[in-house]
Amino acid sequence: MTGPAGSRRRLGALRDVGSGIAAVGAKELRGRMRGRRTFVVLTVHLLVVAGFAWMIETFAERTYTSGFGGSLSASADIGRQLFSALIMLLTLIVLVLAPASTAGAISLEREKQTLDLLTTTPISSLAIILGKLLSALSWLLLLLLASVPVTALVFTFGGVGPDDMIRAYVVLLGTAIAFGSIGLFVSALVKRTQAATVINLVTTIAVTVGATFLFAFWSVMTQNGLLPNTTATRDSSPLAAITRRPPEALLYLNPFVTQVDVICGTESGGGGTCSIIDAVTGANTLGQDVSNGIVSQPFAGRRDSYWPRAMAAMLIVSAVLVILAVQLVSPTRRWRLRRRRSGVAGGST
Amino acid sequence: MTAIVRASGLVKRFDRTLALGGLDLEVAQGEIFGLVGPNGAGKTTTLGILATLLVPDAGDAEIAGASIRRDPNAVRRALGFMPDSFGVYDDMKVWEYLDFFARCYGIPADRRRRMIGDLLDLVDLGPKRETYVQGLSRGMQQRLCLAHALVHDPAVLLLDEPASGLDPRARVELRELLRELRSLGKTILVSSHILPELEELCTSVAIIDRGRVLAHGRVADIERRLRVGAVFRMHVLGDEGAIESARTWLVTQPSVVSAELVADATIEIGFHGDDEGAARLLAAAVGADLRVATFSRAASDLEELFLQVTAEDATEPDATAAAGPVATEAGR
Repeated sequence: MTGPAGSRRRLGALRDVGSGIAAVGAKELRGRMRGRRTFVVLTVHLLVVAGFAWMIETFAERTYTSGFGGSLSASADIGRQLFSALIMLLTLIVLVLAPASTAGAISLEREKQTLDLLTTTPISSLAIILGKLLSALSWLLLLLLASVPVTALVFTFGGVGPDDMIRAYVVLLGTAIAFGSIGLFVSALVKRTQAATVINLVTTIAVTVGATFLFAFWSVMTQNGLLPNTTATRDSSPLAAITRRPPEALLYLNPFVTQVDVICGTESGGGGTCSIIDAVTGANTLGQDVSNGIVSQPFAGRRDSYWPRAMAAMLIVSAVLVILAVQLVSPTRRWRLRRRRSGVAGGST
Repeated sequence: MTAIVRASGLVKRFDRTLALGGLDLEVAQGEIFGLVGPNGAGKTTTLGILATLLVPDAGDAEIAGASIRRDPNAVRRALGFMPDSFGVYDDMKVWEYLDFFARCYGIPADRRRRMIGDLLDLVDLGPKRETYVQGLSRGMQQRLCLAHALVHDPAVLLLDEPASGLDPRARVELRELLRELRSLGKTILVSSHILPELEELCTSVAIIDRGRVLAHGRVADIERRLRVGAVFRMHVLGDEGAIESARTWLVTQPSVVSAELVADATIEIGFHGDDEGAARLLAAAVGADLRVATFSRAASDLEELFLQVTAEDATEPDATAAAGPVATEAGR
């Protein structure tokens, strides 16, 4: 019977991966936290977040109280506005820092010629990749946790519940995982850290701003009947579907849209900006849905349901990129890109 | 002695370039084994395959009984590897560097502390324990890298050009360190193209060129196989006339193939025979009133052997030519 022996082996392998992740993670964190850099970055981060919160609160207070006097409703509105602004700022910070913090994870090992030393130890490539990802995420988590006391100020105004806050931070964490994985994959793919940083920046802009432009362009095309088959009514084929409206999956990697969904989930939504999420999820395409026999209510029912789908998509993308990065780091990887070159000596001797 | 490293029929191509064309190798336990060859011979590829960094296109190798194909993790646990061009994590302290690699091998914390102290003493870096790695000299970094390869007490050490970039003093220190490691029971496989260095250090060598082993064994054995006899040097006292008459006398001896004046009062003798014959020649020289100050076998010259072996190979039909061009530059 190989059962017990097999499960013991699997358990041992799992333990090895765990201790490998701990070894790499501890080393990375030690390097990351050493010196004044961490202190400076954390201080600047908190100053920016706190300063931004103060500005938004002052602005909102002047807007809501001028002419009308103070009211409970105004306080809740200020709270929601402050919450929206802070969450968007934190999303931007995570979007910039997550790929940047993993851009050099593997390429720096190659540049410093330490990757061979690491891969000749029994530590697995999976442990190397996960150790580096987790260390980058721990660093981002520290920044996010440090910002919690500032964002918690919104509770003094009302209008936002703890569950809204938790949802927003879950999206921030998901964004950190997804964009950290993108950075890690690019770092494993490209030999130079400088190139990896540039590619990461371009990729981040492409999947956020680029995808949003594409979505908007697609929407305009379909609304103006510039794509064929837009009048198809009961046709449920993929072609008919894409000519009715762009798929929301295009925006799954845009965390700002996801945060809009979270913000719109607050008591009475975030005003006009919530129409964005209705446009993305198709909640405002009442006529077409009715024509398909599906009755949906615009501005109702679909809010607060987009973010879990976007999170799931981000985690799936992250898992795929981690698997690819593991393959790229492994010295005995199974999948190789075959480059056909003739007569060029390219091997080590 | 039993072979602890065994490679058979290793073939490795990079695109259409043949780096190894069926390399066979056996290294006995406890040896300091030298891989000798010019740049592009296949030394780094061989060590890369043995270190499980590269997968051979054909053939297999075993280290301490574990196959690099079937059980690379067991191979990694059995060997310590120091690559040709290695880097160090310069934002770490010396002890942290060793501690990190020890953790990679799953060594528990209490053993790590003791082991790090012992290793730093062994490589003479004890006083540098709290120094940042970037503050170490090149020679010290080399020793630290060697220490990293020893954290898990491996049976086999693979060292790729360990002395490159070192000053003469650091080279001597490294040589002493390798001898000490051998005395601790380690088997060391070391590649270099600096032949005199290997000659002093190695118990056996393999001469590699164009991805194949051309000669393999103890330096003296290879020499014996390649040469009909040995070379002796005789230092004779006296004036020019006396030295010239000594040279003339030597040429007349049946066991002497050639006798040439190579330096002031030193005659290099091409000798055909064994140690008994050498003793008889010395006795005859003294009997013939030659004022012999020293008479000794010339040290085996690995450089000369290497040139001879590779020259012989170059004249043979190229077995690898049909398979494709041969790698000339390092780099995976």
